Amino acid sequence: MNAALPFAPNLPQACAAAPEARAVRAGDPAGGGDPARRYLSLHLPFLSTDRILRLRHGPRWRASPPQGPMPGRPLVVAGKRDNAMRLVALDERAGRAGLSVGQALTDARAILPGIDVAPEDARADATLLAALAGWCDRYTPLVAIGGADGGHDPAGNGAGRDHGLVLDIAGCAHLFGGERALSADLLARLFDMGFSARAAIAPTPGAAWALARFGGRETVVTAAGARRALAPLPLAALRLPAETVAGLGRLGLYYIGDLMMRPRAPLARRFGRELLLCLDRATGAVEEPVSPRLPAPALSAERRLAEPLSRTQDIRILIGRLASHLSERLKKAGQGARILDLALWRVDGHVARLGVGASRPLADGPAIAALFGERLTALGDDLDAGFGFDMARLSALETERCEPAGQDFLAGDSGAGDNPANLAHLIDRLGARLGIANVLLAAPVDTHRPEEAERLVPAADGAGGAKSGREGKTPEQIPGPARPASDWIDAPARPLRLLARPEPIEALAAVPDGPPLRFRWRRALREVAAAEGPERIAGPWWRGDTQTRDYFRVEDRKGRRYWLYREGLFGEAAAPRWFLHGLLA
Amino acid sequence: MLPAVPAYAELAAASNFSFLRGASHPEEMVAQASRLGLAALGLADRNTVAGVVRAHMAAKERRLPFHPGCRLVFADGTPDCLAYPRNPSGWNNLCRLLSAGNLRARKGACELRLGDLLEWGRDLSLALLPQDVLEDARREAASAALQRLRAAFGKSVRLAAAFAYGPLDAREIAARAAMARIAGVALMAINDALYHEPGRRPVQDVLTCIREHVTLAAAGRRLAANAERHLKPAAEMARLFAQYPGAVAETLAFAGELSFSLEELRHQYPDETPASGLSCQEELARLAGEGAARRYPQGVPQKVRDQIAHELALIAELGYAPYFLTVNDIVRFARSQGILCQGRGSAANSAVCFCLGITDVDPALADLLFERFISPERREPPDIDVDFEHERREEVIQYIYAKYGRAHSGLAASVITYRARSAAREVGKVFGLSADAIGALSGSVWGHSSANLGEREARQGGLDIADPALAQVIGIASQLNGFPRHLSQHVGGFVITRDRLDAVIPVMNTAMAGRTQVEWDKDDLESLGILKIDVLALGMLTCLRKAFGLLAERYGIAMTLATMPKEDPRVYAMIQRADTIGVFQIECRAQMSMLPRLKPACFYDLVIEVAIVRPGPIQGDMVHPYLRRRQGREKVSYPSAELEAVLGRTLGVPLFQEQAMKIAIVAAGFSPGEADRLRRAMATFRRVGTIGAFRAKLVEGMAARGYEREFAERCFRQIEGFGEYGFPESHAASFALLVYASCWLKCHYPDVYAAAILNAQPMGFYSAAQLVRDAREHGVRMLPPDINRSAFDALLEEDEGGWRRKRLHPAHAGMAADIRSRFAVRLGLRQVTGFGEKDAAALVAARGEGYRDARDLWLRAGLSRGAVERLADADCYRSAGFDRREALWQARALAGAARAALPLFDRTGSSDPQREEATTLPVMPAGEHVVQDYRHLSLSLKGHPAAFVRDRLAAAGHVFCRDVAGAGNGACVRVAGLVMVRQRPGSAKGVVFMTIEDETGIANLIVWPKVFEKFRGVVMGARFVGVEGRVQTADGVTHVVAGRLEDATRMLLQLSEAHGLATGALGVAGMANADEVRRPVVEQRARVKPRSRLARLIVDTPELRRELRQDMERLAKPGEIRKALPKGRNFR
Repeated sequence: MNAALPFAPNLPQACAAAPEARAVRAGDPAGGGDPARRYLSLHLPFLSTDRILRLRHGPRWRASPPQGPMPGRPLVVAGKRDNAMRLVALDERAGRAGLSVGQALTDARAILPGIDVAPEDARADATLLAALAGWCDRYTPLVAIGGADGGHDPAGNGAGRDHGLVLDIAGCAHLFGGERALSADLLARLFDMGFSARAAIAPTPGAAWALARFGGRETVVTAAGARRALAPLPLAALRLPAETVAGLGRLGLYYIGDLMMRPRAPLARRFGRELLLCLDRATGAVEEPVSPRLPAPALSAERRLAEPLSRTQDIRILIGRLASHLSERLKKAGQGARILDLALWRVDGHVARLGVGASRPLADGPAIAALFGERLTALGDDLDAGFGFDMARLSALETERCEPAGQDFLAGDSGAGDNPANLAHLIDRLGARLGIANVLLAAPVDTHRPEEAERLVPAADGAGGAKSGREGKTPEQIPGPARPASDWIDAPARPLRLLARPEPIEALAAVPDGPPLRFRWRRALREVAAAEGPERIAGPWWRGDTQTRDYFRVEDRKGRRYWLYREGLFGEAAAPRWFLHGLLA
Repeated sequence: MLPAVPAYAELAAASNFSFLRGASHPEEMVAQASRLGLAALGLADRNTVAGVVRAHMAAKERRLPFHPGCRLVFADGTPDCLAYPRNPSGWNNLCRLLSAGNLRARKGACELRLGDLLEWGRDLSLALLPQDVLEDARREAASAALQRLRAAFGKSVRLAAAFAYGPLDAREIAARAAMARIAGVALMAINDALYHEPGRRPVQDVLTCIREHVTLAAAGRRLAANAERHLKPAAEMARLFAQYPGAVAETLAFAGELSFSLEELRHQYPDETPASGLSCQEELARLAGEGAARRYPQGVPQKVRDQIAHELALIAELGYAPYFLTVNDIVRFARSQGILCQGRGSAANSAVCFCLGITDVDPALADLLFERFISPERREPPDIDVDFEHERREEVIQYIYAKYGRAHSGLAASVITYRARSAAREVGKVFGLSADAIGALSGSVWGHSSANLGEREARQGGLDIADPALAQVIGIASQLNGFPRHLSQHVGGFVITRDRLDAVIPVMNTAMAGRTQVEWDKDDLESLGILKIDVLALGMLTCLRKAFGLLAERYGIAMTLATMPKEDPRVYAMIQRADTIGVFQIECRAQMSMLPRLKPACFYDLVIEVAIVRPGPIQGDMVHPYLRRRQGREKVSYPSAELEAVLGRTLGVPLFQEQAMKIAIVAAGFSPGEADRLRRAMATFRRVGTIGAFRAKLVEGMAARGYEREFAERCFRQIEGFGEYGFPESHAASFALLVYASCWLKCHYPDVYAAAILNAQPMGFYSAAQLVRDAREHGVRMLPPDINRSAFDALLEEDEGGWRRKRLHPAHAGMAADIRSRFAVRLGLRQVTGFGEKDAAALVAARGEGYRDARDLWLRAGLSRGAVERLADADCYRSAGFDRREALWQARALAGAARAALPLFDRTGSSDPQREEATTLPVMPAGEHVVQDYRHLSLSLKGHPAAFVRDRLAAAGHVFCRDVAGAGNGACVRVAGLVMVRQRPGSAKGVVFMTIEDETGIANLIVWPKVFEKFRGVVMGARFVGVEGRVQTADGVTHVVAGRLEDATRMLLQLSEAHGLATGALGVAGMANADEVRRPVVEQRARVKPRSRLARLIVDTPELRRELRQDMERLAKPGEIRKALPKGRNFR
């Protein structure tokens, strides 16, 4: 088998995380603003509101507004800060109306009662920003999220978030007709996609960051002009803590130039070395590391192939190799994979990706390979190998601690019983073939309403219980809280299964709340021999249902047992109606 | 055979004092039990008897047999147990039992074990209330507990069973019956009611959700399955328990064993047996005699002698002597410690109290008659509240604990209830509304007056009133309004008992260590006649004591409230000019606008002035008739001859609470007891639905006696107002004395008064900036705080050349001869934001020859770098020769950790400020200094911010605030100034009142709703505004009716170089306490019923709103108000 597959020398790449420690370019540390370095800082001041407005009016809402220049009411985004609802983002109209980020929502409403308030969704913002970063790949492969140090908070009040990207454009601007042309192209495309943005290009990420946010017209600055361009900008442009900016302001120092022209030692003594470091990074006196955008997978295994592969069975074998390699690493780390990603690089530049999830941490090579095997089977001919793949990487994107003892039970497929590991295995296999979201289990729901007392939940959530939320499902979307399986209503009082819907019956009963003496169901008259009840269950009044039901367990002369109820209390409903709701064992 | 008409007593009824469980008021339970014809009702809340007094009073009215009890809930797995006292000893045991559980748990919890019940269960009738006995473990636990109780207490133990309409009810009850049979106890039917009628199920479900912190949608089976836990009539109970007829009959047997009534707790006065061997009455007579000799050194006038004898006879008849001795002892202690105090209340304004020194109001001066306040027929406990300096009240409280012991003294409770706003917030949460919608619904800034949480408010918050869920939220929130939420300690009401306190009322821990409180509030205690003394804190007493101290120290004048010159015409002249900023009570604008019209000229006029600008007289429409008569524009007449005696002193117009009560008695034929019940019903109208009957009785009663119906209606409305904000003459008299004292000091020694009131902050109405401004207008030189001159408190400093007439503001020119001031006031370091008293003490102690610079201060005084910096921010280094930036630069260089090594030998070389490279800082412009002063001192002596932009203001056509009045009625003017106060009285009209200030004075603005909506952002957001509007002058009061407003805050910010960067530099400094935007009005105000006359009058006099609030704070009675207020009463 080995002979059939001409593998290149092994180049396994296990990244031990700590990506922020690595500079994208391991370049020379010479400061002073290397003229070869060029950074474009992109600032998206309205990312949160743009996201919401794009959803409402489509991505081209800025280019061709639905009605008027700005549709709808002034939009603000509010989030909880220090136990109070505060504005965390504003659109242009809200800003013009005098609202500000950090303001309490109640104050904002007092000033402008008609504002449109959207809840903060930091995750959605981050996802969108990451997608934009990916899109920016078209200009340069070196894109970092945030300024240089990730999410920074220039307002200093903990209320708003700064959204931006840094593009390392050294050596690629000429492909787009120069830096200004690149910048213009980028902003124009973003505008068409519904985003308002500002961009600045400078020899350091810090200067680019400052100019994009606080600069005037001058947005492209050379190494020689950096100090002059920075001097008139406010100190906040240095990404200093708000406390430091305020402290300097009390001394009458407001602008970057105020610092540049003063002796350094007394300033450092009073405001710390950080102050000078921020200044030096902006001017280029000190090198600033830029973090790569995508975090490396926790563990991965990679093969480069001298000869491209295209036959499915070859790919299966390749996967098997990668899986066993990955398995070794996982076991060594005591981890099991929950989310796995297989990337296959096609020779023409296209990248095919296959992702699978496991309902339980997996560290076993064959098991991992089997999951992808199911996917490949399901894909069939959809996996277009084209001229073949010349590189493959299997990554464990998410891992969890793995109990090695569990592995023994996975040895074979036999003995499917009550063993939870077997159930989990079954769920994995079904899930891999049908889609994990399509495998469902019944779970109890905490409610008095009998017909709502159970519901189907994704098996991966219900059985394993651990990975809820992975599908982005939040508890609020579910009508009632899912409870552990032990929480089924265990009264002998209820049938195991209910009728699809309660069926009307004709019944004769004593007032006010006696059991039926006889009743007619599905045309047959049944004489009640014994009865227990009533169990009185009132409707969820907050949903507008105020009907009360009196449930009875009855046994007819033939020993058949029923669960039925009368709707409406005596005196409450004009003519009480009777229903049969289920059959008891 | 069942009796034809079954009888049933409900013994497991809970009220909403089973917090977050019960969904009906105790009064509602009683009313319903009475309607259903139950044989008796027992109230058993969870581990508390907090609700029994209310139920008892309601049951008394309805003649329903009532039994106070408790549902014991154990922490050790023992099933719940109903406990009812059979006799007084049983009550004592129950109280001891609950006290023991309360004291071993944290505040608000009660931790009971079966052992406690076995220890204290004698003389109690018990009924065990197990749950789910079909389950083996529970059944066994219940059986074991039942056996032990049966063994200990025999036949007084029962097993209770309720028919809950659960799935297995029949089996459950059968199991209990079997258990009872085995244990040899009787089975007793109960209903385990949580509310009086099934309609309360939604409220109960919502309470469950609040308790469990879940939404309705997520609560699931934590909610009750049905609405069955309501009171049921005997016939229904008999039907449900048809198989167990004995169980229903057993309730009557159980109730029959209970002979205890809360009435038996009366007369719990502490033992004050004098050491002299005299009786209490004799001792009181002796002390009064001695006091009289002290008060009248020239000999006691015969009239006073007679009065004392008369009062003593009345006191003897009512048996009040021990009570007077108790109060006397507390006051004597305070005096011995130099703590200023004064009594007020019905019994306080007597010759006896005057002689004892409990009050300094000479009854002869105010023509106050003891009988006017004490009604022998009612036999209610006398009422004396004692106010103490707010800074030293704790010493008095500790004395009371020490003297009577924890076993006999404790604080009264204060029942914290849901208010419309808090109810809306909680209910909104339970319904899963977004935080945003909840915010809108419970709107904190001018959303609505909370009494009518209505459509307009909802719509304003962007909510759709047609949404049925919202309608439910509003409906349930309004039902929840008034529900007790928890018990808190009363601000100063002390309960002192002869018997062990914890055997009379259960005691519990408070949030403050070292304090215990009882479970009943002041109304409950009053209803039962248990002694309660209010030991209250009053800021003005602190101010007066400090003023007396300065007067003695700097002027060598020893003065007390009693020795102060009386009826000084110059003081009244000042009052008549409404020159009363900073004095007690009559300082607010509503009062100030009344003063020139009322022209108080003697002490009794002050008594009236204090009482008149209040909801009672206003709601009753009594203010204007009084004013007209006072000004001689209307003839003084009396509705009848019999009322002349009642209304003689107030020109025929009822102004005081006592008068309203008297009218009910004299003119409507109420018995004194009925009149009192009427007043009480007003105060608690929500709980008792009997107002209509009282109203009819009063109005018809008066009509039948020939009074005009319209007058009767007005009297009723006035009583209504008094119920809400009772302000009796007896309290007004004591307050009037403090008004006079503060006015006297302000009139003659404005330097002393200014220093004293600044040192008594936080208190009162005006910010320090306004008080300082007023003192300067009276010619007092104010000096800035300084590291080498100031202490924590403001000091009097030699003023070279003394007080100078030319500094006097023209408006006060007439006072030149009255002012005896000689000193300048040096502001204290307390004025510096964030600078503490301890730091100030350290600074003063180490000052020596004075500090050279910030580093010297830091090294010698041992302050933190932060403290040194705050002094720099406040520009306190001027005497050392540094302005705020230079001082700040020095302070910044101090490294906290290095200090220990530095004083001996400075080894750090370059870090020494002398040797580091010189750095020049930009010079701070004068305008920015002022802005920074406001920010860090909340005032500036350097100038007014407006003065620095005057050129630009003048160029835009703005006039001085001072000149607005002169512009003439109807003139169109432009003014600009700092926003001091914004208020919008809670009425449909929505008028906003603003006060702005520039360097020449203040201007009052009126903003009509249309203008407000247009300039809403400016009104709500601006700190400095420009206004264009029309001048309106009426009754000597000038307003500018705004037509256009403009936010000029940026103009001020440009005073600072960093304009645009230093947004918000001004903060809220210098803004008055009364501003409603920064500090939303306390919810209490909403108790003024909507659309009442008061509400309408408030529209006309916005200051009233502020006044009401001030009342409540000053009187400091309801504890919840304190809670509702944001921390710190000054804007800093």
